[in-house]
Amino acid sequence: MDNGFKDRALPVVVGLLFLSALYAIFFYAPTERVMGIVQKVFYVHLSMAFTAFLSFFIAFVSGILYLTRKDIKWDVYGSSSVEIGVVFISLTLLSGMLWARPIWNTWWTWDPRLTTALILWFIYVSYLILRTSVEQEERRAAYCAVLAIAGFVDVPIVFMSARIWRTIHPVVIRSDSIDIEPSMILTLMITLTAFLSLWFLLFKLKTSVALTCKRIRFLENKIEGGD
Amino acid sequence: MRDALLIARKDLLAEYRKKESIVSMVFFGFLLLVMLNIAVGVGRELDGEMAAGILWVSIIFSAVLGLGRVLSKEKENRCIDALLLSPVEPEQIYAAKTMVNFIFMAVAEAVLIPAFFVLYGDRFARQVPMLVVVVLLVNIGFSTVGTLFSAITAGTRRNEVLLPLLLFPVITPLMALAVKVTGGLFEDLPYREYSSWLYVIAAFGLIFSGVGYLLFEFVIKEG
Repeated sequence: MDNGFKDRALPVVVGLLFLSALYAIFFYAPTERVMGIVQKVFYVHLSMAFTAFLSFFIAFVSGILYLTRKDIKWDVYGSSSVEIGVVFISLTLLSGMLWARPIWNTWWTWDPRLTTALILWFIYVSYLILRTSVEQEERRAAYCAVLAIAGFVDVPIVFMSARIWRTIHPVVIRSDSIDIEPSMILTLMITLTAFLSLWFLLFKLKTSVALTCKRIRFLENKIEGGD
Repeated sequence: MRDALLIARKDLLAEYRKKESIVSMVFFGFLLLVMLNIAVGVGRELDGEMAAGILWVSIIFSAVLGLGRVLSKEKENRCIDALLLSPVEPEQIYAAKTMVNFIFMAVAEAVLIPAFFVLYGDRFARQVPMLVVVVLLVNIGFSTVGTLFSAITAGTRRNEVLLPLLLFPVITPLMALAVKVTGGLFEDLPYREYSSWLYVIAAFGLIFSGVGYLLFEFVIKEG
């Protein structure tokens, strides 16, 4: 109970970060000359895409740690991470479509980045389906860990093979330079921080619920076994 | 390696006597070729890549039928427990099952690809030796991931339903590459036009044989 203050403070911090991100997006960052107001989805789109990738990477690492340590908490971390990641990758796809419709004049195109995001969506939704099909806890944890690892290993291959189709996706961030205004970079950074803090909040809530559930089940079993 | 060959031999012998997997694979694949022919419009001139897409969809869908059985067969009468108790490394079981899947696929393809040329026109039957190389490379990729995933689904309540749901997202890039390269072959393109994609197909097989080799043990011991 002593971290009650921290528990209550975190949502407030996340809320404030989002308010400042919204302010920066709409009032601080300049409106793009060619694309106009539509370009503003970029800050949210890129932040969500990054957060989704982060989630899948964490699930990958948790998968490896579960298989080597056999501690169920890594399964909780991995599955919570995938659940949040699926939400963010879905929103990435949707926000991308909203941008693509006026700019590319199409909702969808088979570009490497779009295709990779879509296949990632499929892989991690299938992970969630797998979770509902195995009852036994340790078995489910092991299977899901394997799928999280195999799915993540697939990502670079997906991206490489998606080069079959020509790219029209804008490349804003290259290894040596970022092709946008400094004020836009700052706005992006604020939005990204807001999304990372939201990720952390969701992750914390999700894992604490899951761990509490396990604790309750453990105690229930103990009571039933005791008498 | 000797253990793996023994297990594979046992599976192949059982299949040779009962012929349950191969027959359903070939039948289903052939059925799909016909259905897809109707879907694109009978008598329509197809370009190479479209024809390649039809061929690969038929092959992959039929291969999943065989894939689901190879490990769930061991679950019946709990043969897998006996296998795990015997002094055989789990990696050997993985190698054996991958080999069996690879051979099942190759046998089914030996019927399906000629049937494809009959139905869709033998003008696509160019660069056949290269087509064999491509098909075998894709088979390696498919059976390495497929065996790992069928071990997962064999331990779930919804074995046969779940397998394609888990497997297809991961092998979508493999299928895209296979369609691209095979389409190139059907159009009689020179080797340098598709060679870089061929390497990615080979890399897929290589990477996932490593992944399967390392992870299969964790899956099979949970079963």
